[in-house]
Amino acid sequence: MQKPGPTYQSAKYQFEVTVNQAEKIEAREHRAVSVDLVIEIQQFLYREARLLDGEHLHEWLELLADDIHYWIPGMQTRYRNDDAKFSPTRMAFFDDDLEYLKIRVARAKQPSAWAEDPPTRHFHLVSNIEVEPTDTPTEWTVHSLVINSRHHAEDDEMELKARRVDLIRRDTDGSLKLARRKVILQQTILQAKNINTFL
Amino acid sequence: MTNLSTKTDDKTELASKVNDWVDAEEGYIDRRIFWDDAIYSLELERVFARCWIFVAHDSQLPEVGDFLTTTIGEDAVIVSRGEDGKIHTFLNSCSHRGNRVCFAEVGKTRRFTCNFHGWSYGLDGSLKSVSRPKSYDGKSNFDKSRLGLHQARVESYKGMHFACFDPDAPSLEEYLGDFRWYLDVILDNDEGGIEFIDGNIKSRLKCNWKFPAENFVGDSYHAPWTHSSALIAMFGKQPTMRPDRSYHANVNGHGWEFGLDFIGNAATLNSPQILEYLREHEARFAERLGKVRSRMVASLSSANVFPNLSFLAGHNTFRTWNPKGPRETELHTWVFLNANAPEELKKEYRRGVMLTFSPAGVFEMDDGENFENCTAVNAGVVTRRQKLHAGMGLDSRIEHEELKGNVHQSQINEANQRAFYQRWADLMNAETWADVPVR
Repeated sequence: MQKPGPTYQSAKYQFEVTVNQAEKIEAREHRAVSVDLVIEIQQFLYREARLLDGEHLHEWLELLADDIHYWIPGMQTRYRNDDAKFSPTRMAFFDDDLEYLKIRVARAKQPSAWAEDPPTRHFHLVSNIEVEPTDTPTEWTVHSLVINSRHHAEDDEMELKARRVDLIRRDTDGSLKLARRKVILQQTILQAKNINTFL
Repeated sequence: MTNLSTKTDDKTELASKVNDWVDAEEGYIDRRIFWDDAIYSLELERVFARCWIFVAHDSQLPEVGDFLTTTIGEDAVIVSRGEDGKIHTFLNSCSHRGNRVCFAEVGKTRRFTCNFHGWSYGLDGSLKSVSRPKSYDGKSNFDKSRLGLHQARVESYKGMHFACFDPDAPSLEEYLGDFRWYLDVILDNDEGGIEFIDGNIKSRLKCNWKFPAENFVGDSYHAPWTHSSALIAMFGKQPTMRPDRSYHANVNGHGWEFGLDFIGNAATLNSPQILEYLREHEARFAERLGKVRSRMVASLSSANVFPNLSFLAGHNTFRTWNPKGPRETELHTWVFLNANAPEELKKEYRRGVMLTFSPAGVFEMDDGENFENCTAVNAGVVTRRQKLHAGMGLDSRIEHEELKGNVHQSQINEANQRAFYQRWADLMNAETWADVPVR
């Protein structure tokens, strides 16, 4: 099914992507990954989005690999010749492992999470999905865009837009797992009082 | 956007009502101060254009040419490290047509050059060159030394740089007064002081800036209730606040509510390494600060330097509440730690603050919701007529052997909030700094 490709970027993509996209965007041979796999990964991301929309956060945690790194770096407005728009040692909205993500889910699920009642009406719109092989046959780099629309109470409306780069892995039981996620927000100043969801 | 002219008559008339808005003796606050355009406009002039406003920590701008941009009230400023090694703060607005001269929030440069006509300014804000200079040759009204970017005064306390646009304001030292003795708890508990971790998370809240500022100056009352979900998720229980071992202390409207439990705030960072570091250094903190202040280093607490610099000891986060109109606030959040702390603690503090007190943090998540709703409801004209109650602990004032300033027993209190609003009213009511009483 999967053709051996040229040397693909390894899964160490995480710190190598600049604000908008990779420095160099290589053309991919369209059979580099199978259509079946592309559809499977696409469905995985759509299902993930629907779990988040419905606040099925414990089920969402099940989609994550044990070594997940979930990262939403703080973005800065810097001049073009200054490429340090974000950095792994700088402040972030999320710089989480599984333990941290579980704490966030535990808080959201408390009956006394006042900001969550009445609940937020979410959708996560996922698009522009591209699947690329990595050096590891069971892992793929997956690019996508996400729009999270949030409406809360009567007239509270917030929208988060972001570019994502994921590492998706075939687990030993055959299921897909999210192993790395980097979320590059469009906003440098978050135009919202909080981020009460995952992107 | 505002209906208030800068006419002195209007200002005087408005200011004469200040005492109706803030009743610090009985603890009643008029809601119009969170809503009215005219009051907001006067506030920009009499609070933000007059007070010492935090702009940067020394460690954020280590080298000549390092700069960042921020605001003082709604005045956009550049803060930069000049060729003289000093921190300069000046308006980010060209002297020619007023365009911005810097568009990055942080970076390194030699000049700030306007995109419009090429006027170019040095790291100290002075005008260095203009395009087609010959067009100005021999014109006596073109004097480069008078056309630099408008300067603010800059003074610092233990690495914290503050800027002030009022030439008549007292020195920073005087402005902070005895609150410096409290600030030393975080700025000077260890040789070498503190450093800021790279980065600054920014976010917008649809609230009046005073709601979050007063929350930090004294409101430990909200913590067990508002933050119940995070406390239960992380600890399965509420924190213990002891009235007999906790205080409100304030000086000139700056305030700190605190327990003497040493590590209560730090305990929520989910980091055994941080707790270990604090326990190992407890005796050294006491050597430097004395027993009482050493128990504040990371205790259950919150604080605000008037008007808008808040911090949490133990979490090691500073933040400023930057007004963007009466109903919107831009929050800037930083993380700091002792400069001599082990390198690996940087990651611990950074991640810990992001987990707890950032816009996505499990604690802060519920705060924004409250501040926004406290502001938005005042659209109602009848609602605005109803005064807010801030009357807890009216008779809690004590004399304490060691603690400086105005000290009140128990951190479940609203003494600091009343002092914050009193200072605000003093400034709003005063024609000049000479009319502002020391509190």
